[in-house]
Amino acid sequence: MLFRRIYQFLIVYIIGIGFLLAIKAVLSLSDYVIPGIPLVIETAGQVFTGYFFDVMNTLSVTVLGQGISIIMAFTVGIAGRKSSWIGSFIKVTAYNIQAYPIVALAPIIFILLGDGFIPRLMIASMICYFPLLLSVLGIMATPVTDIEHFYIVTGRMRWQLEVKIRAFENLSKLTTVIAGSATLAMAGTIVAEFIAANAGIGYSIRIALYQSDLAKILIALFMIGIIISIYQGILETLGEVIKVKWSISKKGEVL
Amino acid sequence: MQLECKHLNFTYPGSDVAVINNLSFSMKNPGFNALFGPSGVGKTSLAKLIARGNARYDGDIMWDDMETILYTYNLERLPGWSSTGGHLSKVTPPGKEGLKEHLVQVFELTDVLGSRFSQLSMGQQNRINLIRYLLQEFDLLILDESLANVDEKLRETIILAIKDLFADKMFLYISHNLMEVSKFCRQILVFGKPSENKGCFMISGQDYQNKYHLDKKKLDLTMLEIMNAF
Amino acid sequence: MRKRTVISLIFLLVLMSATSLQAKDVQLNYRLKWLFNSSVAGDIYADVNGYFKAAGLSVTVKEGSPEKNAINELELRHADFGVASADQVIRALDKGAKIVVLAQLFQVNPMQWIYRADQPEIKTLQDLKGRNIGITFGGNDETVMNTILAKAGISKKEVTITGVRFDFTPFFMRKVDVWPVYRNSQGVILKDKLAKEGEAVYFFNPADFGVNFVANSVITSEVMLKNKPAVVETFLGALLKGWEAAMDPANEADVLNAVKRLDTSTHDAIMQQQLAATRDLIKPSPSIPIGTIDMAAWQQTEQIMLKEKQIKKPVHIETRLSRLVQK
Repeated sequence: MLFRRIYQFLIVYIIGIGFLLAIKAVLSLSDYVIPGIPLVIETAGQVFTGYFFDVMNTLSVTVLGQGISIIMAFTVGIAGRKSSWIGSFIKVTAYNIQAYPIVALAPIIFILLGDGFIPRLMIASMICYFPLLLSVLGIMATPVTDIEHFYIVTGRMRWQLEVKIRAFENLSKLTTVIAGSATLAMAGTIVAEFIAANAGIGYSIRIALYQSDLAKILIALFMIGIIISIYQGILETLGEVIKVKWSISKKGEVL
Repeated sequence: MQLECKHLNFTYPGSDVAVINNLSFSMKNPGFNALFGPSGVGKTSLAKLIARGNARYDGDIMWDDMETILYTYNLERLPGWSSTGGHLSKVTPPGKEGLKEHLVQVFELTDVLGSRFSQLSMGQQNRINLIRYLLQEFDLLILDESLANVDEKLRETIILAIKDLFADKMFLYISHNLMEVSKFCRQILVFGKPSENKGCFMISGQDYQNKYHLDKKKLDLTMLEIMNAF
Repeated sequence: MRKRTVISLIFLLVLMSATSLQAKDVQLNYRLKWLFNSSVAGDIYADVNGYFKAAGLSVTVKEGSPEKNAINELELRHADFGVASADQVIRALDKGAKIVVLAQLFQVNPMQWIYRADQPEIKTLQDLKGRNIGITFGGNDETVMNTILAKAGISKKEVTITGVRFDFTPFFMRKVDVWPVYRNSQGVILKDKLAKEGEAVYFFNPADFGVNFVANSVITSEVMLKNKPAVVETFLGALLKGWEAAMDPANEADVLNAVKRLDTSTHDAIMQQQLAATRDLIKPSPSIPIGTIDMAAWQQTEQIMLKEKQIKKPVHIETRLSRLVQK
């Protein structure tokens, strides 16, 4: 799973670079517009270590931000799963907040909180939270009648059990969504760093953009891609471990 | 203990066709009764109405001396996060552990208690599901094809054991097995084919108990009576 | 009937001649560095007041933005002329771009620092010591401030450097004392805002202390200059005429009207102040023609970038500066 993710990314990256080099060759562009391979390698030698720590810095915010968004999505999803007034109120509020583009809200967040760690964390969480919320709401609002019936008619049903049943029955979907949301959390963190922060790979990309240094940006993209692939791979592997441990299967189908 | 329906009519919301049309019947005293008929005649719909589903209907359903009515069906599943034995223990009310062990033995499930629900065969899944209902407090238990995919011999053992162990309870057994219903049920509500506009008939079954002696002639007569009714 | 035919023929002839005249106009794209506002008043004025048209050119003046880069567009042939800052030009040359500088629009770099007048005035570079100075990491101001500090022999420990962004709150809250601004745009707005609070400001201009870092210039590709020198000369002539007229205080109302049509978000009073500030930077003295290339300043800019390791090797900028308008 992990290695597949990495080599899939490498294929995409190489195709992308190849495409850029083809344009460079066809239009005879200078290294300023599209850097050649030697310049990319030379730049990598200069910035690789620095960018590695920048990406790790970004990743730490990403992991934390994703964790927060998972907690938020589950809290809102569980609270809003009922078709009651409060349930629909929570859903509508969550949807409305998300309707504002985060890039528009970001400056307000930065003005209020400055450009430190917390705003990055907030923006990362907010960007990856909504898709998670939609999945969690969808899962939590759909009864698993074949399992829940017994607990309902015998008066044993509690909200914790209901959540557990629905989460368990949709574990594959949940782990896929959570692993997928890692990309969003990373993108969110980078956007936050790009808009206003003094650390992280998004901040380094912004500096490289100031200097129109595409070689640096290509290195940054490579680092981001590799690290996010590894992170997603780990999340997917974890998901598999959890599924095997919980022995997820349906209707007699043994995994 | 009595279950009685008077002029019961039921149509699913959004449909023009009545599933139950002017149905009246009465079942008295504890015992193993049946709802019998071809698919789609309204057996499950009636079972759900009796089990106090929220659906709206016309007419009357009267439960006399019946506090708890449970409805179970053959597609039910146990959660997959722990073993079936674990789940069974969790839902066994205090004081019923002995009954649980006895039922597990009779239902021939001792060897699979350590397995997850998904690892069981369909017959085993239906049996373990039925056990957990039998362990609950109830006055009337509706078994909607709850012994599907169980072999005939074991099905007979199970039905006789249920009749023996729960003699003071009423059961409504929904099955498509003519012989089984005729042999073990006391009152059989037979649903006629709607296309032939036959209505419903109450027929008396042989109501065999443990260590019964088979009277083939009487059984054939009951079976014939049922066949003629739908 | 005959009368009708004659009229139709005349109309057709007029139309044909108009189309053929139109066809004679050379189609050009001109990419600016920044959004339409007073700082590009001359570019707008040259277009709106028909300076290009009069020269037989049909120029599409395209608005710039942080994401747009005129040098890339020249190489990709999306633009024929553009505006780029000196550091962009020198970096591009370092990486093999084939471009030439035609004219230097800003004689004084608008990139300066603002600070409150209740603080001691910065009369010598040593006065920077102990201050909290804002810089945009990766931006020109970082390069310039590094040069200033090195020139003054001030170590990074003797000042506090704070990374800044678009949000001025740290300056308003006095967390940062000396804040980088574009003198003719943000500088005007900040000065106005603080004036409303009863606070006066000073501007710290690196050029006053011998650090001349060139700002925006008009550029084109080497190919364009080689293959169509007449078009280049005509374009530059029309553009600079437009700028000269736009910077003439007598035309202020007309210029403001032209800018206002494209920049609808800036208040009139602010726009007027911005135009006045731009005038001081573009044409600091009546004797200096607009577009004059300050060779010494360009060479100093290259030296600064070399020293700051912004470029790997000398680019010999003097060989890339057009001699059309030089000091």
